[in-house]
Amino acid sequence: MLELQNVRGGYGGGDVVKGVSCRVESGEILCVVGPNGCGKTTLFRLILGSLPVTGGSIRIDGRDTGGLSPRELAGLVAYIPQYHAPVFAYTVLEVVTMGRASHFSAFEAPKRIDREAAWAALEKMNIEHLAHKKYTALSGGQRQLVLIARAVCQSAKVFVMDEPAASLDFANHQLLTEVAEDLAARGYCVVMSTHSPEYSAAGSKILLMSQGRAAGFGEPREVITPENLEQVYGIEMDVITVQDRYGTERTICLPVRANHGRGS
Amino acid sequence: MERECGEIRAVRQWRDRLLALGLPALLLAVLLFSLGVGYYPISPSQLVRAFFSWFGVQGEALPQADVILKLRLARVLSAALIGASLSAAGCVYQGMFRNPLVSPDILGVSSGAGLGASLAILAGAANWGVQLAAFLGGGAAVAACCLISRRSAHSQTLSLVLSGSMVMALCNAGVTAIKYVANPSDVLPQITFWLMGSLTKTDMEALLWSAPPMAAGLAVIFVLRWRINLLTLEEEEARSLGADVGRDRLIFIAASTLLSACAVCLGGLIGWVGLMIPHMARSLAGADYGRLLPVSAGLGAGYLVLMDDLARSLLSVELPLGVVTAIVGAPFFVWLILKRKGG
Repeated sequence: MLELQNVRGGYGGGDVVKGVSCRVESGEILCVVGPNGCGKTTLFRLILGSLPVTGGSIRIDGRDTGGLSPRELAGLVAYIPQYHAPVFAYTVLEVVTMGRASHFSAFEAPKRIDREAAWAALEKMNIEHLAHKKYTALSGGQRQLVLIARAVCQSAKVFVMDEPAASLDFANHQLLTEVAEDLAARGYCVVMSTHSPEYSAAGSKILLMSQGRAAGFGEPREVITPENLEQVYGIEMDVITVQDRYGTERTICLPVRANHGRGS
Repeated sequence: MERECGEIRAVRQWRDRLLALGLPALLLAVLLFSLGVGYYPISPSQLVRAFFSWFGVQGEALPQADVILKLRLARVLSAALIGASLSAAGCVYQGMFRNPLVSPDILGVSSGAGLGASLAILAGAANWGVQLAAFLGGGAAVAACCLISRRSAHSQTLSLVLSGSMVMALCNAGVTAIKYVANPSDVLPQITFWLMGSLTKTDMEALLWSAPPMAAGLAVIFVLRWRINLLTLEEEEARSLGADVGRDRLIFIAASTLLSACAVCLGGLIGWVGLMIPHMARSLAGADYGRLLPVSAGLGAGYLVLMDDLARSLLSVELPLGVVTAIVGAPFFVWLILKRKGG
């Protein structure tokens, strides 16, 4: 589905991403984990085509994304930005309909079929009651759902979410995790960056990044280890596995300190 | 919940229909009404008779009514075209720069076009030369604004307005220098009078020179208008939705600059319209450029025609149109700033 082969790229002043390889199938969630400045956002920009790939290749469904126009690329990858506030007070329906932009030419406006697709996407996210509300008046969690609905009606195969949980509270974070799992279950491929890999859902893969390179890629159990995390973050880390009240195994990453708790 | 949705939808449809039918009707009424207004008022019956005689149907109009109507028609159409152009351009600039506080005059595009056109007049250029110089001047002004604000550490909103006022000051200095060296018997009054923002000297010939490029600019923006929505988002986001951001932005900015430059060529510096009307249109039609742009252009046309009516009938002496729009527009800007602070 999404295949990165030794991908390199950056902002002109040298590569920030220096050779990352991984492979995600449809129905899987790829969590990109790593310290600030490790190249997560740059990697996402490379996947989205807003930065040029200087080495290696990115393939989606077997197609190299290198030579594609923005419109063609929009048919393959959808971007769900972090919590954002547009300048103008669009309604939710208008925001979601913008997801259809790659489905008609520049000389056209959205037609009936596009509005129907937008309504269907709103219904999938269970937010059709927000359709005529102003997007700017919504809460952070609701905005995320609207942007996901927009990505759904874009009908791309890969969803890229840059730190979707960054400004959300527990409830909205949980909701978002469920939505991401639901999207994966419907056959989409979800790529997201996160600072808290303990939330990463079952059936997902982890790409651990450090200084522009992949420090680990694979099942969470294999990649999220104290050794790997200590190497990448440069501090002592414990990885604790617990069972929640429903018996599900959860993994928690915990920074530790030698004299912690003894009072110093 | 279903029912509420249905009711809201009904209200929206009703609003859209009212805008789609009411606005053109209102605009037409304003245009017709304005033909009668002025130092020599023309009654509706004379108006109708003159129209009939133009199309060779029947009857004869009073000769003086006929002459004045022809002059006034050029003027009313010019006002409508300038109003539509400035409002559409303001609307597009606000979207392109993702900034509700910009307009052709605030970005310095109008001043740049004024400087270019003044230079061309000084050099004795022909009509098309003046227009080309105005377009180049406006283009240089908008390019300068983009470059300065991109390198500034301030917020985009603030730095664009600041660089706009810098460009404006520079262009005005240039115009003053040109006035200083211009021949006081012919070129100087021509530049001074025209830059004041006035339609007194507008005739059919000037209108016919400016109308085609304005129509072209309006047509480009009108046809592509839904795409402006995408460009009001962050660049990365717009691109991910399939927009060719660089190309689209260039097309829209070039078309808006052409509109602003032609408006300046036709009527001089007429401020505030391009800021005020898009805001009024947004509160009427919502943020979606599919509706916003036509509503903005229509409102702008009607507004400027009415302002020109005021300019020529308020006092026994005719006021420059730019003075009238400033008196109405400046308080509006203050209100806008206060409203933004409040939330």
